This record gives sequence, structure tokens and C-alpha cells, in this order.
Amino acid sequence: MRRRYIGALALVAALTISALTAAAGTSSPDRTNATKIVIWLQNDAESSWPSVVAATNSAFKARHSDVDVDVQYQTWGDHLTKFDASLAGGTAPDVIELGNTETTRYMANRLLQDLTTSSGSFPNSRTWLPALKDSCTYRGRIYCVPYYAGARAVIYRKDQYKAAGIRSAPKSLAEFQAAGVKLMKRYGKQRNYSALYFPGRYVWASMSFVYDYGGKIAEFKNGRWQGTLNSPQAVQGLTRLKSVVTALSRASKTGDEANPQQALVFSKGRVGSFIGNGWEWPYALDKKVGNPSLASKMGAYPMPSHIKGKYMPTFLGGSDLAVPITSRNKALAYDWIRTFTNNTQMRQLATVGKVIPNTTTLTSLHARNPQLAPFANASKSSYFVPTAPNWVQVENARTLQTMLQSIFTGRSSVQAAATRASNQITSILNRRT
Amino acid sequence: MSSGPGGEAGFPATTAAAAETPVARRRRRALRDRSTRALAPYALIAPTVVAIAAVLGYPLYLLGKLSFQQFGLAELILQEGPWIGFDNYSRLFHDRQFWTVVLRTFVFTFVNVGLTMVLGTLIALLLTRLGRFMRLLLTTGLVLVWATPVVVAVNIFRWMVDFEFGVLNWTLTRLHLGDFLNKDWFADPLTGFGVITALVVWGAIPFVTITLYAGFAQVPEELVEAARTDGANAWRVFRDVTFPLMKPLFVILVSLSIIWDFQVFNQIWLIRDGEPEEDYWLMSVYSFVEAFRLGEYGFGAAIAVVMVGIMFVATFVYIRQMIRIGETR
Repeated sequence: MRRRYIGALALVAALTISALTAAAGTSSPDRTNATKIVIWLQNDAESSWPSVVAATNSAFKARHSDVDVDVQYQTWGDHLTKFDASLAGGTAPDVIELGNTETTRYMANRLLQDLTTSSGSFPNSRTWLPALKDSCTYRGRIYCVPYYAGARAVIYRKDQYKAAGIRSAPKSLAEFQAAGVKLMKRYGKQRNYSALYFPGRYVWASMSFVYDYGGKIAEFKNGRWQGTLNSPQAVQGLTRLKSVVTALSRASKTGDEANPQQALVFSKGRVGSFIGNGWEWPYALDKKVGNPSLASKMGAYPMPSHIKGKYMPTFLGGSDLAVPITSRNKALAYDWIRTFTNNTQMRQLATVGKVIPNTTTLTSLHARNPQLAPFANASKSSYFVPTAPNWVQVENARTLQTMLQSIFTGRSSVQAAATRASNQITSILNRRT
Repeated sequence: MSSGPGGEAGFPATTAAAAETPVARRRRRALRDRSTRALAPYALIAPTVVAIAAVLGYPLYLLGKLSFQQFGLAELILQEGPWIGFDNYSRLFHDRQFWTVVLRTFVFTFVNVGLTMVLGTLIALLLTRLGRFMRLLLTTGLVLVWATPVVVAVNIFRWMVDFEFGVLNWTLTRLHLGDFLNKDWFADPLTGFGVITALVVWGAIPFVTITLYAGFAQVPEELVEAARTDGANAWRVFRDVTFPLMKPLFVILVSLSIIWDFQVFNQIWLIRDGEPEEDYWLMSVYSFVEAFRLGEYGFGAAIAVVMVGIMFVATFVYIRQMIRIGETR
């Protein structure tokens, strides 16, 4: 009898829970009408060049007063998961920004609108940056429009370098490390000070070391992809990376460059230098989240190679703009892209956003600007990821992040971690697309 | 119910059969009544069954179907994939990583359920001994924990164990337990899972405690007193009186906890910023990564189907217990 109460009690509890679970998760589908175009841009545009987006939209609206432009900002971490789902559900945007390492998979699967015949109608299409144009080309056809490129350089605190007795920008990796040791001597007593702030999962800056020592991520040989991070050169680069980071960085070994944003960590004062994109400089000075008083104390120089006088290859990152095949407003989508990538906006993008614009005719903007020149110079020595249709799945599997984390935390040796990652890359790149 | 069926009214009554008619009629009516009565429960349960079939059965069927298909990005857009039989499953069972993940999930579930039950029981026993004010305070605390959304809880825990600004590292260092400044709890999966376990158990205790406390209140005082008079200590009383009486409740709580902890996903996903390292993959995470990150929807579905199968066993124990309780009337 007492048992009965207990049983009934449990029954009530169980029912309550299932009712609660059932109540969670309702969604309302978005109604689309013909006079609205949806644009997915990455949140870099939101944080670093919102004025360019606003100017584009008002110029676009001036021509199409009856069309609503809905710009939805995405994050790098999950925008592809969302994009895949939206393609299947028929709610994909009309324009999407894709990283230049992400395009191949979608081009290979014919999910982006073929722009080959209309490409001439886009501004500067003859002088698009070759590296970005390549990332929009698959088997001779063009599937997207270059947006901007970025190269990384060392962004540093001039005042701290001076106080530590570092007179000029390091010319080799050895000098770079020596300078870092000086900084650590001068400021290292401060808890959490890093001469070089380098979070453990910072893939793009880490792979620079691999390519600097002659290594590669993967190679295409005899019709098959082969991961090559376990080659002697790559392992040498990774080993060197570990020694530099261990000596100079107190950043989280399990964090990455975006969580927290390294420019913001830098702006808090306990960082001597970090390897960052051009747009991260103004971000560190942001009135709301950064520290504007650092304006006169910041500088940048290309990351030096282990060979004296050379630059370490930087990852030539960038973004492209594509129109998914599912878009029902393709003509409007093209026109929005044309507006967004015309000379007026590109000039703004270069000066406000501190990134490399999509056309070679505007690169001279950088040479004259001390805040842009180091990045433009750095981009002269660059590397790119393997151009395999499945490459983005290596990024999605976080294979390189996992490898770096086990190297930095000492969970496994450089050789073992590199071999494991290499095998995984081989397996993913050779999967059926 | 007693209204006569229309057909019977025009039945020709012969004198010979006249004596029998009322009996036959009553018998027939009883039969009809019984059949309507027998049908009633089915009619009543039908809406529920339909709803469950629609929201649970159909997706489950689709999941099963998907697990036998080659389904990648291209198929996702075409909304149709080629049938490949058991290929996904044979690949899964030959995948060393899968077995590591399964083992890890079992260990995780075992540890979490164990800790939840032990701590939950202890706190419930504590509640029975507390005065009114303290009991109210503790119950309020438990309800607040129960009401905290997972996303909020994860963020609180993340900040507490933050390697740079976390209060945990600060406290441990202050207590001179060693140098915990810049200790990264997630660098080693063992300490990382420690944090995740604390988070999961913390969130699960309130339900177990409140349910058990309500159960303890139903244990007859006479039995406990009788046992005490016979010289039983607190442990003996719990083992020989309280626990046997409450066994059905324990069985239900344990199987519910297994069901919950076996499919933990949010806590791990959120605390590792949507990028959990392989060392942190449980079956749910593994299935999600394969399906939604690598675009292997068929393979991901196969993992999910295996998971559903394992969960079904736990659910079976639970349902059997529920039925038994129904039979003890």
C-alpha cells in the first residue's frame, strides 16, 4: 500500500519529465517572399567593417526599393553545419560567405551557382586576386566571387619591446625567440604574461612552422591523397613550434585564437605580441571591447623564417561570396554581390577593415599605409591548404586542433601526434565525396 | 448502455422460444457491453499512440532507414540515398574508435549514475533529519538547481574552472593545495571529465533527492522504530527496512538516470565550445560529429541506432518495473 504511493509518485514524476521534454523544441518555419534576399556573412564583417555592409545595403536599396536585405551574421564554428541543413531544408540563403578553404566541397557537389558566363559582369573580375580566384575555380569553371584576403603578421607592443631592449624587428626565428625571452625576463613575473600569446589550437599560425621547414599537410600522389604531417620536415617544424610556444606563451593550450579573441586578450595589456590578421589590429583598439589608448603603442612585422632574412609562409586566408543553387532570387543576389565588391566598397574594406581587397589594382593602398604594409609584405610568402574536395571535413573534424593540443599538453610526442593526424587526414581526404 | 439495439425489436417471437428469449437477450447484451467496454481503453489510448507514432515512431523509422543508406552532402540535397545494406554497421563495428567511444560512454554513465544515486540518497536522508527551516532552504536550493537551464549551468561551470580567471584555481591555490594558477582542467581528459561529471551529477541530484525524500516520508515510522528497538544502527535500518521498501523507486530512478546520462551531449558540446576533442567523445557526440560535421549522415545514423538499441535495454528494465508496480495492487 505504501509501495503503491511510492510507485505512483515515481509515475507522476516520470510523466512530468516526459511532458517537459515533449514541450521543448518548437520551431516556426520562416516564410520567404520574393522581395527579400538573405545574406549570410561572417561576424568579422559585423565587428570590423559594419559600415561597408551598411553602405552596400543602402546603395542596393536605392536601386531596388521593394527588396528587403536581411544580413544574418554567422560564426566560423558552425556556419557550415547550418548551411548544410538549410540546403536540405530549402531555406538556404541567397548569398553566402565561404572561407577559401571551404569552397571546394560545395563546388565539387555542384551546390553553388556556376558564374562562369556571368563572371565578366562582376567588378574587377579580370584583376581578382589569383589566390582567391583559384579558390572559386573547380575544373575550369567559376563558382564564387572573391571577397577579401588576409595574411597574418606579428602584432606587437612597441613600448614593451623598447623597454625590454629589443631595438629592431627580429630578422629570423632565432632572433624572434631571443626577443621573446627578453620580454619574458622583463615582464614575465606578471601572472599570465605572454611574450607571444599563442593558444594551443591556433591551426593557421602553427602550420606556418610546418611549411617554413619544408613540410606540408598533405600531397596528391598517384590519384590518392596522402597526409604528410609525419614527414621529417613537418615534424621538425612542429617540434620547433612547441619549443617557441612553451618558452613564450602562457595562453590556454586547449583554447584557440577566437575564444577568447586574441586581439582582446592583447588589449588587456599582458601580451607582448601575437600572430594576427590585419583586421585584428583595429579590433584591439575598439572603443567598446578593446583599448583605444594602445593606438600609438602598436606595430606589426612579418613573422620571420628560421632562415635569416626570409619571412615564414603565412596562411593566405580569405573569403568568397557564392550564390547557392537553391536561391530563388539569383539576379538580385548577383546585384548585391556586385555592389558589395565594387571599387568604392573594396577601398573602404581595405582601409576600415584592414584586410587585403579582392583585386590587385587596390593592393597599392597597402604599400603606403604602415598599418597595412606588414600584412601585405607577409602575404608575399604564403601557403595554402590541400585543395581536396574533402579538405573542409578535415577542418570540421578538428584533426589539426586535436594534434596541436596533444603536442602542447605533452599528452603525446610530436611524432606520435603527427602520425595519428596524418593517418586521419589520409582517410578523410580519400573518402568518397 | 442498456438501450436495446434496433434489430432486436423486430425479432419474430415464437411461443416455444419465448421463455428463453430474455436470457438469450441478456446474454447477448452482456456480450456487446463487454466488447464496447473492451474497446474503450483502446479508443482512449489511440490519440496517445497516434501522437507517439507520429513524433517518435516515424523519425525512428527514418533514422533506421538512413542507417542503411549511403547519405552524404549530395544525397542530402537530392533527399535520397542509395541503399547499401549493412555497410554502415560493418564499418562501425570495425572502427576501433567506435569501441573506445562505447567503452567511454559506459564508464561515464556508470560513474555518473553511481555518484548521482549515492549523493542523491544521502541528501534525501539528510532532508528527513533536518529542521523545518533548513529543510526549506535545502529544498529551495535543489529546486533552483533543477530549474537552471543547461546552457546557463555550463557557462557558470566554465567560468569557475577557467584556467586564467576561474574561482576554482584561485581557491585551490589560496588553500595552499599546490600551484593551480593557469591549471587547464581540460588539457587532461581525466580532469576534464571530472568537471563534466560534476556538472552532470550536480544537475541530476535534485530530481533524485526530491523523489527519494518524498519516498522516505512514506516509510512507516513503526517499522523503523521496531528495528531500532531491536538494536539496528542507522545503516542496518536503511539496508533492511528503508531500502527494501523503496526498492521499486530506486530501480526507476536508476534506470531513468541511466537513460539520461547515457545520452549526455549538451554539457560536453557546450563546455568544449562546440569543438570537443576526440578524448571527450561519447556516443552522442560521435554520432553528431560524423553526421553533421563530416556529412556522413548514414554512418551517423547507424551510431544513433546502436545507441537507441542500448537505451532500449535500460528502458525495458524501467517499464517492467512500472508494470510490476501496477500489478501489486
